[in-house]
Amino acid sequence: MTQFVAILRDSFREAVDGFVIYAMLGLSALTIVIVGSMSFTPAPPDEAFDTIAQRFNAIIPERGRSRALSFNAGNSFKVSGVAPEGGGYRLRLTVTAQPLKAAPEAEHKQDGKDDKTPPGPKDVPGADSFRAAVAQWAGAPGKAVELDAGGKAGKNGGRKVKVSTPTEPTPEEQKAIPTGEMEAFIASQFDTQAGMTATATRVTDGVAEPTYAFDVVTAGGSGVRGWPHTTKIFFGAATLSKQAPLGVSLYVLEDWVVNGFGAGVALLISVILTAFYVPNMIRKGSVDLLISKPIGRTPLLLYKYVGGLTFIFLVSAFTVGGMWAVLGARSGFWDPTFLVLIPVLTFAFAILYSVSVLVGVLTRNPIVAMLATIAFMFLLWLAGKGKAFVELTEATRGAGDEGPPGWLVTLVGVTNTVLPRYRDLDTITSKLITDGTLTAAEAPLFSPAALLDYPSWGATFGMSFAFIAVMLALACWAFNRRDG
Amino acid sequence: MPVIETRGLRKSYGGLQALKGVTLTVERGQIYGLLGQNGAGKTTLIKILLGITKLTDGDARLLDAPAGTAAVRARVGYLPEDHQFPGYHSGYSLMDFYGQLYGVSRDDRRRKIPATLELVGIAGRMHSKIKTYSKGMKQRLGIAQALLHDPDVIFLDEPTDGVDPVGRKEIRALMAALKEKGHTIFLNSHLLGEVELICDRVAILQRGELVREGTTAELTAQKGVFEIGLAPGQTFPEAAAKALGYAVRPLNPAATLWEAGLGDGQSIDPLVRSLVEKGLSLRHLVEKKVTLEDVFMSVVEGAEPGTDRRDRKATAVGGGNR
Ligand SMILES: Nc1ncnc2c1ncn2[C@@H]1O[C@H](COP(=O)(O)OP(=O)(O)O)[C@@H](O)[C@H]1O
Ligand SMILES: [Mg+2]
Repeated sequence: MTQFVAILRDSFREAVDGFVIYAMLGLSALTIVIVGSMSFTPAPPDEAFDTIAQRFNAIIPERGRSRALSFNAGNSFKVSGVAPEGGGYRLRLTVTAQPLKAAPEAEHKQDGKDDKTPPGPKDVPGADSFRAAVAQWAGAPGKAVELDAGGKAGKNGGRKVKVSTPTEPTPEEQKAIPTGEMEAFIASQFDTQAGMTATATRVTDGVAEPTYAFDVVTAGGSGVRGWPHTTKIFFGAATLSKQAPLGVSLYVLEDWVVNGFGAGVALLISVILTAFYVPNMIRKGSVDLLISKPIGRTPLLLYKYVGGLTFIFLVSAFTVGGMWAVLGARSGFWDPTFLVLIPVLTFAFAILYSVSVLVGVLTRNPIVAMLATIAFMFLLWLAGKGKAFVELTEATRGAGDEGPPGWLVTLVGVTNTVLPRYRDLDTITSKLITDGTLTAAEAPLFSPAALLDYPSWGATFGMSFAFIAVMLALACWAFNRRDG
Repeated sequence: MPVIETRGLRKSYGGLQALKGVTLTVERGQIYGLLGQNGAGKTTLIKILLGITKLTDGDARLLDAPAGTAAVRARVGYLPEDHQFPGYHSGYSLMDFYGQLYGVSRDDRRRKIPATLELVGIAGRMHSKIKTYSKGMKQRLGIAQALLHDPDVIFLDEPTDGVDPVGRKEIRALMAALKEKGHTIFLNSHLLGEVELICDRVAILQRGELVREGTTAELTAQKGVFEIGLAPGQTFPEAAAKALGYAVRPLNPAATLWEAGLGDGQSIDPLVRSLVEKGLSLRHLVEKKVTLEDVFMSVVEGAEPGTDRRDRKATAVGGGNR
């Protein structure tokens, strides 16, 4: 135990020796300050609820549980009388629907004897776009079609999104929608579109179909993930978005900027920084000093490995923890899932570092260890990209669509079986952050991972641990075999 | 029970035989000097005893355990040659780190580290980073780290490398003091004068083979040759000495100092008695010695020149000749 602690402390001393670590910590601190310079100003309640209500034309079938999204453009939603109540607000939501038009009779059309304008389509009583929306919400998702994200392209990175087109409910189905189902739909919309629990009570006094009105009481106010915010950065100097939901801003920052880009950079720096540790330790002139001490070579190497991990863990804890804290303080939204990046980064580094240690023991050359690890990182990234492509093509593939090419599926299958589950680790992280920030309606629009199931945690971590174990076993074996 | 014992110890690095069957024994409390040219295999022998290098054949035991046992290393101190300490440590923190590896308690470390560094004379700079130390200071630190945990056996591989003459003298005094305290010291050196001054026993390693072994006195004693000097003005009775069977010759032109060689089984006493009987006064009588260097050079020169050259080449290829 003392020996273990001694080597941890020695690793730590080694790590904080050069200027690189201060550059790294400086970079971390700068990132934290930049994140801390962001401000999130909630829109005033009237405006906010109006914006939220405008999203209600997006419907998630299967009562909000489906991954598909469909659009029903026929309704206009209006919010009035917003007043704070309890921890949330009370408001009146008015839905103006389009009545269902019965197509004019076929004979009518052909009957062109007189120049009289053909009679317009007649309203079908008890059927309208709102009832259709409720029925679609309660029903199954339909066929998927690709939709250019168009206006949302900026937020979406120009991705095409697949939306479902549920079958149009029959007039009879529409007529049969009970009031309770409408209320449940409205409440569900507040949840899936704004991340806000709400109860809706239909008001019929003085409201005639196809207009509907609901008294809504929400729990939770401007702190919920779907509340529109004005997001600025550099202490107000630059505006990032005006009406974006808080959760979307946080998601983009956490998953795209930090998990996507920042993590890659952090891992790269860590790999470069730590590539020197083992080769330095077993350098001629240094190694004899250590292995003449009453400690076995295997524990020596393993402790040194853990020392590197501990160090990276502390750096990620500082960086991610710092960002999390300032983000929470600035936005009022404390997203615990962001913190999973600390263990995830450490674990991803553990995979890379095991390769670095093995190559370091075999070659005693830090540059070779570094380059080999970076090459390995690139390989994992490539394998991950391949897997992502296959997974997302499968996930969004329509009935008639062609699947990904067979050779790619095979290649991806093999590489992701042999290599540590880097991609699955990333999917798990992205999904956790998605669940932590995005509303159900935004998730499929912004987060590719939302379209996927959680990969098996056991397999992801088990296989990756197995890989690390094999690398370290080889490294220890090589270290024990050598003379000095 | 011997502290170090090797029997028929062999080590090959690929095709190069660094040790060719070395058998030696070191008893407790001795200062044992292993001499040899660069590339003779001295370092290899120590590394095998410490488990840093694996032996090819034969037997090596240290403190009654097979060489290389981790637990035994807790009772051993080691100063490697050409060591490189991690530059990010200070002298103190390095000692603290190694002390922890040796299992020295926190209190003991706190007490012993400054004392040990004081002993080797670098306590004044113990909180400076090692990167700022001179070669001599690093060597002293190397000795200190080999002493910290009060080991039974101390291996010193070229301990006076890079140390100035005053420092060397201090190190010799330190070794003598350690011996007084009962430590066994195993010393590798190519500095013969030094070894002669301090070692109880000496072995000479030549291209992986032990060519001489014995106490320093044994090795440097030239059996049966005496130096004789009489009082000023007196003449050495050359003819009488020859008649007694001694091989005598003057050692200087003035013939004030004579050398007398004994025959087999002969003693110097009859000659001394005859001088006294002749009324001559003996002023100087000493059994003639050779220096370790003489012994060493005779060993080295005794090697066949052809063999020597070929071997030098082989060691150069092996990378051992610095
Ligand atoms: N790790 C090694 N690999 C190959 N040859 C070695 C190695 N270590 C030592 N040698 C060779 O073994 C011989 C003995 O070296 P060494 O024990 O260092 O001699 P000394 O300490 O007496 O100078 C030399 O010829 C050297 O080149
Ligand atoms: Mg040597």
